[in-house]
Amino acid sequence: MIRAFLLAAVLVVVFAAPAAAHNVTAGADLRIAQTIAGAEVTLVIKGTSRVPGPLRIGVVAYERADGLPVSLEVRSLTGGHTVTGTARAAAEPAYTELRVEETGPHQLTLRAGSEVAVVPFRVLVERGSAGDFLVYGGLFAAGLLLVGGLLTGATSRRGPAMLLSAGAAAGVTVAAMVVVFEPMLPPGPPDGAAPTATAQPAGGRPFAQARMETAPARPAPGQEFTLRVDLTDGSTGRPVDDLVSHHEALAHVVVTSEDGRYFRHVHPLRTAPGRLEVRLRADRPGRYLAYAELEREDSGGQLLTGGFAVEGEPAVAAVEETVAPTLRPAPTLRPAAPVAGRPATIELPAEGRVRPWLGMAGHLIVRNQDGSFLGHVHEMGTAGDRLRFTFSFPRPGRYLAWAQHATDGRIVTMPFTVDVTGPGSASAG
Amino acid sequence: MRRLIALAALLVAAAALFVAGRALGAEPLTLTIAGSRYTATVVIDPPRTGAVVVETRVTSGDADGLAFSAVMPDMGHAMPELSAAEREPGRFVAEGELFTMSGVWDVSIRLTGPAGEETLTAKALISG
Repeated sequence: MIRAFLLAAVLVVVFAAPAAAHNVTAGADLRIAQTIAGAEVTLVIKGTSRVPGPLRIGVVAYERADGLPVSLEVRSLTGGHTVTGTARAAAEPAYTELRVEETGPHQLTLRAGSEVAVVPFRVLVERGSAGDFLVYGGLFAAGLLLVGGLLTGATSRRGPAMLLSAGAAAGVTVAAMVVVFEPMLPPGPPDGAAPTATAQPAGGRPFAQARMETAPARPAPGQEFTLRVDLTDGSTGRPVDDLVSHHEALAHVVVTSEDGRYFRHVHPLRTAPGRLEVRLRADRPGRYLAYAELEREDSGGQLLTGGFAVEGEPAVAAVEETVAPTLRPAPTLRPAAPVAGRPATIELPAEGRVRPWLGMAGHLIVRNQDGSFLGHVHEMGTAGDRLRFTFSFPRPGRYLAWAQHATDGRIVTMPFTVDVTGPGSASAG
Repeated sequence: MRRLIALAALLVAAAALFVAGRALGAEPLTLTIAGSRYTATVVIDPPRTGAVVVETRVTSGDADGLAFSAVMPDMGHAMPELSAAEREPGRFVAEGELFTMSGVWDVSIRLTGPAGEETLTAKALISG
């Protein structure tokens, strides 16, 4: 009878499915918006759960991008192993599978039209935890010892049988303790992760400085030019090459003409360490203001500014300008006359089905008239086909505003102005 | 019975020595970086602050000059460039101070050769 009970206990222990054994997870997806070949797309690199293994890459089309072929080249920066493929941009893209051989730093080279972008990234794969080892190890040891105890007991050697049974109990206890306490322990870094110091210095990284210039240096109206942003670390003088995906982009670049009739919100390509480039075209001569919103690793977001001039006679064939505000219903403001320093809510109808873009339903860019202030506000999750933004305009005056959202096949930009009053002169309600 | 206890004690002692040895000994840090012109394997011994020996083997590409530099991005520290001597074809050795404090450093290797100049960069965890 006792032998039968011990045998049953062995079977239960040996075949019991250990808890917390499925800790192997794929790394998080990387999403990076890119303005490439005149199109607006978001590159998606899906994590893999093993190496060697498949890395799935897709290109989500947002504007002038449907069917755009994008050639892909993934290269390991440690082993040098290189694989190539092609992706086709689509609203719901088919993912191209490229086989990666190892974890760690890689770079993805994108080519579309005559443009090239190099995106650095790390392939991370979750490691099996020490907890898993202890759970499996504890249960395995318990199983072995229990079989040993069973056999020893069967041969009537009480002392060794007790010892082996005690060992089995210890094994089960270790496994059970780990099952209970492991969720409270911090997980180890995934395989391929960058080294991290145990004590992180507080305060973030030094500031970045931007040098913005165009190629050619004096673009003519209607002529395509490259806006180049060279980023330099303010403390070391090195190129800043540690940008993280900030609202799904390495950088959000907003370019406006001084009068605000020209507006572009684009996502430049990383072409070299510390260098971002985007191709633009403007049809009117004048001064243009450029803003780059970006975030360094372990730091907060920052805004860098610059400008350039377009010189020459206005282009005959007008470059697409943002649609005149008179064609759209005016946005609803609450209060009707926003007061500086107090929250104002701006609500306006969306055009068509709203698709999430840059991680949000909508974006509002606001600029004061002289261009010395720029704000980037996110939509607050309004249900239905309306966009709602809340923002405290810092000072009285007229602000130029552009609300943006993605819909099927295009990005809608809705320009309008907001007049903000001072706290003393408000008759807001 | 005594044998069993002795065996268990021996196992525990061996495990303790292994863990302590890993924690105390600063093993050389090996980094392999594959650039578009050159591939290099760098050994930093020891990966600590103070004087270090950095040995590099250029395993791909024909390099005739090599210099190290390091920055600590979190703190904004930058160190002067350290030139390496070519001891034999493809093997470069530099000695000097590259790291002033513990933490994660970006180690840059500037390689020159007939194929042109390329700077390879990798992260290195440096202890105090």
